[in-house]
Amino acid sequence: MSTAVAASSSRPGLDLRSLAVRIGFLPALLIAVVAGMSAIDPQFYGTINILNILRNASFLAIVACGQALVIVAGGFDLSVGAVVALASVVMAKTMAATAHALPGQTTPIIVCGVAAGLGSGLAVGLVNGLCVAKLKVSGFVVTLGTMSATAGVGLMITSGIPVYGMPDVFVKGFGRAQLFGLPTAVYIALAVILVMVFVQRRTLFGRYVYAIGGNVEAAIVSGVSIQRHVVGTYAVSGLLAALTGILLTAQVGSGQASFGGDRMMLQSIAAAVIGGVSLRGGIGRIEIVSVSALFLTILGNALNLLHIDSRLQPVFLGIIMVAAVALDELSRRRRTQRV
Amino acid sequence: MSDAGLVVVRRDRVGGLLLQALLPIALVVMVLGFAVVDASVLSPANLLNIAQQTSYLALFAMAQTVVILTRGFDLALGPTVSMVSVGTALAMATTTATGHGTATVLLAGFGAGFGLGIACGAFNGVVIALLGVSPFVATLGSYNVAIGIATTLSAGRPVQGVPKLFSQLFYGGSVLGVPAAIAITVVIGAALHLMLGRTVFGRSLYIIGTNPRAATVAGLPVRRILVATYVLSSTLSALGAIMMTARTGSGEPNLGGALSLQAIAAAVVGGTSLAGGRGGVGTAVLGALFITILSNGMNLTRIDGYVQMVVLGAIVILGVLLDQARLERH
Repeated sequence: MSTAVAASSSRPGLDLRSLAVRIGFLPALLIAVVAGMSAIDPQFYGTINILNILRNASFLAIVACGQALVIVAGGFDLSVGAVVALASVVMAKTMAATAHALPGQTTPIIVCGVAAGLGSGLAVGLVNGLCVAKLKVSGFVVTLGTMSATAGVGLMITSGIPVYGMPDVFVKGFGRAQLFGLPTAVYIALAVILVMVFVQRRTLFGRYVYAIGGNVEAAIVSGVSIQRHVVGTYAVSGLLAALTGILLTAQVGSGQASFGGDRMMLQSIAAAVIGGVSLRGGIGRIEIVSVSALFLTILGNALNLLHIDSRLQPVFLGIIMVAAVALDELSRRRRTQRV
Repeated sequence: MSDAGLVVVRRDRVGGLLLQALLPIALVVMVLGFAVVDASVLSPANLLNIAQQTSYLALFAMAQTVVILTRGFDLALGPTVSMVSVGTALAMATTTATGHGTATVLLAGFGAGFGLGIACGAFNGVVIALLGVSPFVATLGSYNVAIGIATTLSAGRPVQGVPKLFSQLFYGGSVLGVPAAIAITVVIGAALHLMLGRTVFGRSLYIIGTNPRAATVAGLPVRRILVATYVLSSTLSALGAIMMTARTGSGEPNLGGALSLQAIAAAVVGGTSLAGGRGGVGTAVLGALFITILSNGMNLTRIDGYVQMVVLGAIVILGVLLDQARLERH
């Protein structure tokens, strides 16, 4: 750190470059895509499309925030996609059941449903965290296992059929509602991002997560309780994935075991990684990850509007992800060589 | 003092042996358990069926194992399988349609299949070893690219027009009475076993996995070896994909499905360590056998497919716990 500061102060020309490296190529790329698309297709900046982008970006950003936290601590959460599905069906089932027991009383129905949904996500997160922290099994394998198990439970509950029976108020008054012209999911995502940024920067928990991901040995020596904080990261990730499941369910109007899935899981990791989170742990900022989630959503939207075959779209996603990380790695290498 | 030490050592050794033998024991117990519920599990036809099914997964588990040995893994294995299947079928269908001879058709199919596989492996290897991207991101990238290519080439539909002879040879055919799939896997497995144990290249994979820095200091061309490893891995996947294409008789754009993670699960359950440096053909085959028997038995005893997913997930975690216990003894 101190050498970097010294280098930038001695050569003012480097200052700009190091700033560019710090922010990354992401905002520039984002602006380029937005500007390019606006020029090509006026549909792109139509209200409907923008709302659509923001809503989808919100879902992804919430999951990616949790994923990023886990990765910063040096872990992995492959189960997020399955948790989205589980929370969706658990909430819908609970609401349908409570509606049967207490017909017409919407408040308890909604409270029970949301609590059950969030609870299911928290439970999966705790299992992940406890297995990783107490049993010292790698996060990759643990969440690989819980991903399969969670997806299986979600399908078992529903037999793969959508679950209906949620209160109208919940769907129309919350999931599909708009506040000052923006979908409710956008406000919730913003709140989550703000809280997570605060947690990361200003709370002990956030700082310890960096410490654990950066250097476990040093964190142990400094007296950081590794286990508790690792469990915490997985719990947050599970909780946030469940939140996305609930928002998706509220928007669609039924609980479905097909929500989330591998696609959501891979995209959340892609968002984190493109957003500068290092898979080696210890590096990564929530706000950039959120921008990255927005970028991925806009990219997908742009490819759709350009009528690029949806089958070919993964190719772009894959290449952009690898390129973003490779550029990041190369610039880091160059910096360390210069120092 | 010394007596106590001896006892501890002996108990340790017994415990270690038990841990080593646990998976084979569990396999036998599992087969017997399923047989109690349904005797047809032990019928010769079903045993042959299990062996045949295992041979595909074993190949993919071997493909994962060679990269896991170097502390990597290949998330793109499944999509690579899909891509190779589609490519092989397309090449054969096209050459058949243009009236080429059988030899040319088969050659074109194999050329396209292995070509695509090797290209994917080279991409992974170059991105990981030369650009320094983590295996996770690199193969997640090629995962997407391979899915895109597979579904675009095939327009999302099965590719028909694969010559009958291809299926007859590589699915229906047999060598000395052994079905082709099993024979191929045994030969490849034996070759890979020798390669990992007896060649400089093979040994260097273990060194890189155990201690990458030591490997570099010792003067091993780590980058070149890593590229070669990923190419080897994808070539094995391509072989498995071609064999599976012979089985289905068409190029399937979603043949790979959940294979990436299934192959990792098989390798890990068998005792390959994700920390690198430990594992081999034996662990890959054992893990593949375990998972195949488990799902075969659950199918025959009519356990719900969704419950099977839960069981499989639990098994994966359990397998790693055992691995951890084994590691602590070392």
